[in-house]
Amino acid sequence: MDSARWQRIQTIFHDAADLSPSERAAFVRMHCDGDDALAAEILGMLRHDAADGSVLDQNVAMAANGVLAGSDAVASQFGPYRIVRVLGEGGMGIVYLAERTDLHTRVAIKVLRDAWLSPARRERFAAEQRTLAQLNHPWIARFYDASVLPDGTPYFVMEYIEGIPLTEYCADKKCTIEQRLQLFRQICEAVQHAHSHAVIHRDLKPSNILVKEDGSVRLLDFGIARQMESLGVEVDQTITGLRLMTPAYASPEQVRGDRIGISTDVYSLGVILYELLAGAHPFDLSNLTPAEAASIIATHDPGKPSAAVRRSAAPHSGAAALSRSAWADLDVLCVTAMHKDPQRRYRSVEALIRDVDHYLRAEPLEARPESRRYRAGKFVQRHRRAAAGIAAAVVLMIAMATFFMLRLARARDAAIAQAARVQRIQGFMTSLFQGGDPSAGPDNNLRVVTMVDRGLQQAQSLNADPEVQAELYETLGGLYEKLGKLDEANLLLNKALDLHRSLYGADSTQAGETLVALGALRDDQAQLPEAERLVREGLAIEERHLPPGHPTVVKATTALGKVLEDRGSYAAAIATLNDAVKTQPRDAPPTPEFAAALYELANCQFYAGHYDTAEALNQRLLPIDRQLYGDRHPRVADVLVNLGAIRHDLGHYPEAEPFERQALEIVQRWYGNDHPETASDLTMLARTLVFEGRYDEATALLQQSLVIKERVYGPVHPAVASSLNELGNTAMRQGKYDLAAKYFTRMADIYHAIYGEQHYLLGIALSNLAGAYAGKQDWPRAEALFRQAVQIFTKTQSADHINTGIARIKLGRTLLRERRYAEAQAESLAGYEILSKQLAPGASWLVNARRDLVEEYTVLQRPEDAQRFRAELAAASLSSAVQSSGK
Amino acid sequence: MPLQNISSQPRFEPGAPTEYGRQALDEQFSMAYEELRRLASSVKRGDAANTLSPTALVNEAWLRLANAPAVRAQSPLHFRRIAARAMRQVLIEAARRRDAQKRGGEMVFVTFDDGFTEPLVSPQELLALDTALSELASLDVRQAEIVEARFFGGLEMREIAAELAVSEATVMRDWRAARAWLGQRLGR
Repeated sequence: MDSARWQRIQTIFHDAADLSPSERAAFVRMHCDGDDALAAEILGMLRHDAADGSVLDQNVAMAANGVLAGSDAVASQFGPYRIVRVLGEGGMGIVYLAERTDLHTRVAIKVLRDAWLSPARRERFAAEQRTLAQLNHPWIARFYDASVLPDGTPYFVMEYIEGIPLTEYCADKKCTIEQRLQLFRQICEAVQHAHSHAVIHRDLKPSNILVKEDGSVRLLDFGIARQMESLGVEVDQTITGLRLMTPAYASPEQVRGDRIGISTDVYSLGVILYELLAGAHPFDLSNLTPAEAASIIATHDPGKPSAAVRRSAAPHSGAAALSRSAWADLDVLCVTAMHKDPQRRYRSVEALIRDVDHYLRAEPLEARPESRRYRAGKFVQRHRRAAAGIAAAVVLMIAMATFFMLRLARARDAAIAQAARVQRIQGFMTSLFQGGDPSAGPDNNLRVVTMVDRGLQQAQSLNADPEVQAELYETLGGLYEKLGKLDEANLLLNKALDLHRSLYGADSTQAGETLVALGALRDDQAQLPEAERLVREGLAIEERHLPPGHPTVVKATTALGKVLEDRGSYAAAIATLNDAVKTQPRDAPPTPEFAAALYELANCQFYAGHYDTAEALNQRLLPIDRQLYGDRHPRVADVLVNLGAIRHDLGHYPEAEPFERQALEIVQRWYGNDHPETASDLTMLARTLVFEGRYDEATALLQQSLVIKERVYGPVHPAVASSLNELGNTAMRQGKYDLAAKYFTRMADIYHAIYGEQHYLLGIALSNLAGAYAGKQDWPRAEALFRQAVQIFTKTQSADHINTGIARIKLGRTLLRERRYAEAQAESLAGYEILSKQLAPGASWLVNARRDLVEEYTVLQRPEDAQRFRAELAAASLSSAVQSSGK
Repeated sequence: MPLQNISSQPRFEPGAPTEYGRQALDEQFSMAYEELRRLASSVKRGDAANTLSPTALVNEAWLRLANAPAVRAQSPLHFRRIAARAMRQVLIEAARRRDAQKRGGEMVFVTFDDGFTEPLVSPQELLALDTALSELASLDVRQAEIVEARFFGGLEMREIAAELAVSEATVMRDWRAARAWLGQRLGR
């Protein structure tokens, strides 16, 4: 059919439709001029025109129901779990109650329905899974497992919570205001935990909070939660997040589409608190369109919960019992949490919790404006019983009363001072975490610098409270060290040390601990002699005051071990760390300090080339760390990396890769994609990929890693050198020798600057650089560098260390190319003998050595020896062929 | 009556570039959401277990829209036409999938449906509609647009007329012929 025919059809159709039904058929036939097909089509159209029930009369929801209803069907079996019933829907998925067929334990399974619809939905589901997996808190529904159905539908298994939605629970149980606040406090703690992992929930509402029979709450549904890069940094909202949330609990900035942060959750908590206190939602949003609701949330004042209770015709049972002043405080809590301006809300959920606690203990709220009268009023309220006692005493004995009054006055002054101090600390912390001006741009470094500057100014104003100040400095110092802001950390730790010394004395454990912290920082800064001096000084102080095996001492001992290890003094480090490990009693549950000592010991054994001992220690540590921190904690990743590294160093690359990938997954999930820990694990994995010949994959990972490390550590740092080494190796394998030489030279310069002349890492850099010159057939330079490397390895590791062996084999090959056969044979053979004791016969170093030896012996006219290595070559290639065919 | 909100919005000439800020875009989203959600949830009101899929559908429509930069420069009505287009895409994809599943499913499923909810529009019908609609577009683009906006987007005749800059009578007339012809094509 063409457009002209269609026009004709329509003309006849409309004209015929205007006629009475009995006239239509004749009219159509007449105007179709014998075109029967045309007539039939038009008559068919006329029938459908008159009939009901066309598909087009259905609305799109019917169509949706028709094509999507079938996806209500789900597999009855999810791994070991059997579906019992539907629990409900949340976000993008549906949640089922399921039972483990063997153990009969009950779990909730969340399934992404219609997973095939788009990658974006799958990604969001995966993000929820990642978020939940990293949160480990008694009041957050626990994540157990994740998998996919055979048809590709992803699902995850989590804790099944038999409970009632929050508001329903309060109504059913007729909770008092205090009980309501206790429940609210639990919710806040769960949210605070999420915030401490840089996760904003964004969809807090009573239906996402269940209360169990025992009165404990569970926070559910992180379906639109957002992972921030770090706390205090606000983020742009995504369109999806923006509109998927429930408007009733959304903050003004959420509905406006502005930047969101911690304060967004604080606001939603405020709405929940309001509802718990007043028994009603702060805004009446029923019968409003989302746009209208959004406008009300953005512009209307919620009012005070006390006013809502007064207005209410049937206030809930708990509301009546409160005094006017109690309501005044609760109003302040809600109004502060729900402030339209995010900057004027509680700066953190922690601050909100503190004020809830202040209320519950009848102490002054921090959110209340500075008012001495208000504080004094609070004071009297708290000591009402004491005050009543005074009244009686006045009657009985005026002198006694005077005595009490004096004591009360002192207590009052102390309470006021305490409140002021708490408030100043809070002010300090919040100013530090509130972040910069959102319009200042996305430069996170700039933001952090601004934060530190501002934080220091604030901290300096606390000099009337040096104890608090010292504590803050040390805590923040540790925080910045973890964030990779080493200079700032140094500044704060030094201030903390000065304060601790002047407050408690130079020989105090406080000063000792700060010294150790400062030493660990120097270690991080690669200032190793200074690091050792500081840690030893701190440890000596601690050992004078604390018993052996005390966690503080174990921690300091481990720090010393790590410094010695980083200095390359493995024997000393191993002895030190063995001391720390031995203090752990056999039957006592392992402490984190013990686990850390064990970890460093395993590292030292590894670096010293004692692979079997390192393997055994790591295998011992793995279940301990899993027990202490959970399966998906970076500490577990560290152990996995080390297990991979052992296999890597032994040349078992395919075995190393799964360990490295597991570790990378944990670390990425935990820290995000742009963190030094991620960089380090990227490097590990890339290293193995290189050996597997996957150069492009490896190079991409390595460049990514190098950029992260240079940004965090600066250009002269072992971590940067490590990335350069891998990039150099990759270039070597691709025959890009000039590029490789550039990387290795920079690597050697870094190690030389940090470790001096005698360190095995410098040896590795020189040996690798030599390899690049060998690649360019610059034999004299290669030879000189290899000799230097062999000397360093022999001295810093040992004459039979694997590194010594490798360098000697390489030196042998260089001499062979220079046609200095006798010298070459000596080096090749020496290297071969070292390595053949430690590596599998098919290892590439050994194969290379054998080939060189065959060539050398042939030229030196020692055919029996040549034949011996030829036979070994054949045997090794046969055995590796058998191995690979057997796999 | 959400539609009244929309008609009270200032109208922009179709195709004329307009500077829309983030806020205006959000309002558009909220309108589209409101409308699509209202449509989708009207099917099985009261049956909580079954309301997800239409919701998922609406969400999906947004996702597609949010990723289309062109959306930012459109009038509210035009935006809803784009929403209709997205709905069509999602539904047809869903129908294809359902159809394929029916023919080659090997998984054992259990369904929590009571079984009495005979779908009012089957996947096969929807696929046939899509094909017929594409054929109609080759004959008369405007008519196909009218059907798409009305069926997939739930726009009123008055709105479609405003959006296409023609009289309401013309839209009615076009719709009637298109409805009859498509009904004939689909045999229903």
